[in-house]
Amino acid sequence: MNLQLTLAARYLSGRKLRSVLTTLAIVFGAVVIFGMNTMLPAFTGAFQANALAASGQVDASITLRTSDIFDSRIVDRVAAIDGVRAFSGLLNRAINLPPDYLDADPGTPDAISAVTLVGVDPAQATTVHAYVLRAGRFLGENDSAAAVISQSLADVLDVEVGDPIRLPTASGEAELTVVGIQPTRLVPGNEEVLVTLRQAQVMLGMPGKINTIEVNFDSLDEDRRNQIEESLLAALGDTYQVGALASNSELLTNLRLARQIFNLLAVMALVMGGFIIFNTFRTIVAERRRDIGMLRALGATRWTIVGVILSEGLLQGIVGTAIGIALGYALAVGMISVLNPVMHQYINMRIDTPAISPLLVVLTGLIGVGVTLFAGLLPAISAGRVTPLEALRPSVGRVSLRRLAGLGFWGGLAMIVLAVLALLTHNMSLIGLGGVLFVAGLILAAPALVNPIANLFGALAAKVFARDGTAALAQGNISRQPSRAAITASTTLIALAILVMAAGLFSSVELGFGRVLRRSLGSDYILLPPAVAVWGADVGADPALAEELRGIQGVEVVSTLRFAPTLINGVATSAMGIEPANYSQVSSLAFTRGDEEEAYAALSEGRNLIVNGVLATAAQITVGDEVELITPTGRHAYQVVAIAGDYLNAKIATAYISHANIAGDFGRNEDVLIQANLTSGVDRSVVEAAIRDAVRPYPQFRMVAGQEFIEENLQVFKTAFVGVYGMVIFLAVPSLIAMVNTLAIGVIERTREIGVLRAVGATRRQVRTIVVTEALILSAIGTAFGLLSGIYLGYMAVGAMVAAGFPMEYAFPAAGSLIAIAAGILFGVLAAIIPARQAARLEIVQALRYE
Amino acid sequence: MAIIQAHQLSKVYGAGDTAVTALDRVSLSVDPGEFVAVMGPSGCGKSTLLHLLGGLDRPTEGTVSIDGHKLTDLSDAQLTELRRRRIGFVFQFFNLIPVLNAVENAALPVTLDGVRPAEARAKAVIWLTKVGLGDRRSHRPDQLSAGQQQRVAIARALVAEPALVLADEPTGNLDTRASDEIAALLRQVANEWGRAVIMVTHDPRIAAYADRIIFLKDGAIADETVLEPKNAQNAAMVAGKMQAIGT
Repeated sequence: MNLQLTLAARYLSGRKLRSVLTTLAIVFGAVVIFGMNTMLPAFTGAFQANALAASGQVDASITLRTSDIFDSRIVDRVAAIDGVRAFSGLLNRAINLPPDYLDADPGTPDAISAVTLVGVDPAQATTVHAYVLRAGRFLGENDSAAAVISQSLADVLDVEVGDPIRLPTASGEAELTVVGIQPTRLVPGNEEVLVTLRQAQVMLGMPGKINTIEVNFDSLDEDRRNQIEESLLAALGDTYQVGALASNSELLTNLRLARQIFNLLAVMALVMGGFIIFNTFRTIVAERRRDIGMLRALGATRWTIVGVILSEGLLQGIVGTAIGIALGYALAVGMISVLNPVMHQYINMRIDTPAISPLLVVLTGLIGVGVTLFAGLLPAISAGRVTPLEALRPSVGRVSLRRLAGLGFWGGLAMIVLAVLALLTHNMSLIGLGGVLFVAGLILAAPALVNPIANLFGALAAKVFARDGTAALAQGNISRQPSRAAITASTTLIALAILVMAAGLFSSVELGFGRVLRRSLGSDYILLPPAVAVWGADVGADPALAEELRGIQGVEVVSTLRFAPTLINGVATSAMGIEPANYSQVSSLAFTRGDEEEAYAALSEGRNLIVNGVLATAAQITVGDEVELITPTGRHAYQVVAIAGDYLNAKIATAYISHANIAGDFGRNEDVLIQANLTSGVDRSVVEAAIRDAVRPYPQFRMVAGQEFIEENLQVFKTAFVGVYGMVIFLAVPSLIAMVNTLAIGVIERTREIGVLRAVGATRRQVRTIVVTEALILSAIGTAFGLLSGIYLGYMAVGAMVAAGFPMEYAFPAAGSLIAIAAGILFGVLAAIIPARQAARLEIVQALRYE
Repeated sequence: MAIIQAHQLSKVYGAGDTAVTALDRVSLSVDPGEFVAVMGPSGCGKSTLLHLLGGLDRPTEGTVSIDGHKLTDLSDAQLTELRRRRIGFVFQFFNLIPVLNAVENAALPVTLDGVRPAEARAKAVIWLTKVGLGDRRSHRPDQLSAGQQQRVAIARALVAEPALVLADEPTGNLDTRASDEIAALLRQVANEWGRAVIMVTHDPRIAAYADRIIFLKDGAIADETVLEPKNAQNAAMVAGKMQAIGT
């Protein structure tokens, strides 16, 4: 083992550049795995701490499972439970503030962008909490328009006891008088504005409602407390829950999704790293055949040789993973420090410096080292099979097509055929499997296809720029080692397949979502809340605003959206209230099942609903099904009449019901989004001015022209695409490393041959051209295969998105394919720079003497 | 008693119309302490014979016995062990591991045999000193001259105290002076240190250092000559023999 590690360390340090490049492949993967899995838990932990802090220091918080409002008389049921010492019903809601609402200064970043309005029964609340005050007094039973705030909020607002503060409400802007100031807020979460319960109900348009009951028990005994909790649930019913606030917010869901995506990227980076290691070790074994043969001649066993190769892999794996872990942690800390100011500004949350998880260190180490060893295993075993004699004679055998066109080729071809057949089944599971088969089949069949493709691109190169026989030499060099060429091309294949797949996916997303976007937001004017699609945190307007807008001359139709949270088949769902009679005049759902006219008509009659694709998939429901919605007034059965979706709720499980049902079953009449169309031929500027006047008392709304909002959102797509292309480039770097490795080894192996070429009159430029042409042929092979794979994978990805309920249709990635071809050519040129220079600078005599 | 015996050794490459007979029923034996040179024109089968004698390749027909062990009866693992313990190899192109220094290269056979590093190193130092490289033990191959590298290779061939040393064109890559030094060293290996040495060479001047010369032509033994020790005419005589055989 000593000898093996000694040889491994010496060989690695003897080829520093190659060792660094190969180790980089492992570093990439380890950075992503460790960095993302360190950072994202820190985010989710902070969110959960935020939720817990919001729930306060009480024994139990009772809420509806949907987090919705419920009748305040439910408190009586809680009071009747044996073991309940104190209780307090409250209505709390986060209110997103429009930009510059507090400071009216666009030049200064907003210190506070949201507050939580907390309505409490003063008598009940003081039995559950001890409210410490620095100045003034607490709320009284008979207070109206009074508020208690923290010192930190008072500092931002620059107010004292007796001063007024203003907040946007459903009935317009409300003015409150500060009657008391609490100490500076230290726990995470929004600043709170405490008002009486009645005041909060008026401000939020939720008369007689609360959404939380805080309870303290009369016992510290664990079993007794569990008993009391069970009694509470028995009394309240299974639509309620006892515990911390629900953590199924969209943000947490997105964080979990982000973690899955990053882990997938990390796995892909490691797989590519594995390819590079495999390729490098194959070429190392080829390069050291003489050394290996000599060791065997001296009496080294096969396993000793295997151990030498694997020891190199082990060292690279350990070093690469260790560096990756260190850099990953630095990345996590760096990203958190960059994001913390933004988090603090928008959601008043701070992420702590992440802790290093020993389990994650071990897991990352195992994965990093494991991939390296696994990738090096086959080359190591192959090295062990080198006989002493084989290594003492140079290999000059001709490549036999029969040997190549063996099991690997036919097996690969069979897999490709199966993959194409899978496409025809339109079954997503089979198509997904087909994706894996297609790529694997191409890689298996590649060695046998290298020669014909190399001939084709060699001939092309000869016509374009390598007319002096150099292209033929380059093509011959590649044909001599088809397996090595195929493995090198495979890393390019993977990188470009991902690029083309992403291009196909995004073209399709843009096409599909773009169509939905134009249908959903095609009205003349839209009144937007501060956080679009995070409806629960927005304060809307009572129906009076929509009525006022309808009364403006020139306004033809006004339609509004209302929101209530619910659960359908256990899936957290946004119930969106629409006006079936006029919704389709200002907006439209994109229907995939069911008739549009009939569906809108059905919504007006009885309990019928339209579900979007995401909900249909998640809850396993379809047209005609009867489903149960959990509401503040109990469980209600609804009939699914169609599957359709709009742009704003495209990613969230959404059910569309009528305004009448959302008011009746959920008690909601707050408009969270308003769209208006003008009568044709009117003076737009006059009507727009009138609309602005009507909206002025409701600063929580931003008025935009529909077209303007569409452009804004299309721009968001483009920005997201750029970000993802950046990630694809990240994955493409390992493929570049692989090509540089292969070309460099090729130059070393053919040192004497290059010496002969120079001796018989080839110029340095011609030698460079041979290497560059080789690189271009290699990248052409990889690009061709990558294009084919990427197109298949893109089609598969779009199919998967459609199956998951997103409104999309496949768009061929013409631009993406061109970019992939350009990237392939660029790879080839970049990869050839160093090896070409090496080859051209070889001294003729030394090269001829080289063994 | 002979340390190595080859009986009717033949090696044929390929089959049918493309078959090439590299060696045709060659028999020989070498005693301990004997220095035998094998000569012949290019392609006559010299290196093939050496490879068969060293167990690096298997004959098509015939047998090779080293120390009473028939090589054809041994498995790959047993052959490997034999090469480690009973045979030393010296190649034309030194074949030193470029990332190991002189001591580490010289110690390779015993290190591979599981000898403790300190002991292996000590043995290697002894043999490096014997071949005149005691002061170069920490040097890497690229820091040694061609002759010095070949000395390291000879020390490596001897470190495991083998009974037999096989040298394939050991002076092929050296200048005249270095060639003479290496040839003299091989003579010392045989005569002073008691190993059987079989050396393949095309150089009559180097072959003249041997006790006996076997001439191959077209895969078969064409002639065999015993040389008088320290006869200054040996080289000329060998050259003449080579010409007569038709090289």
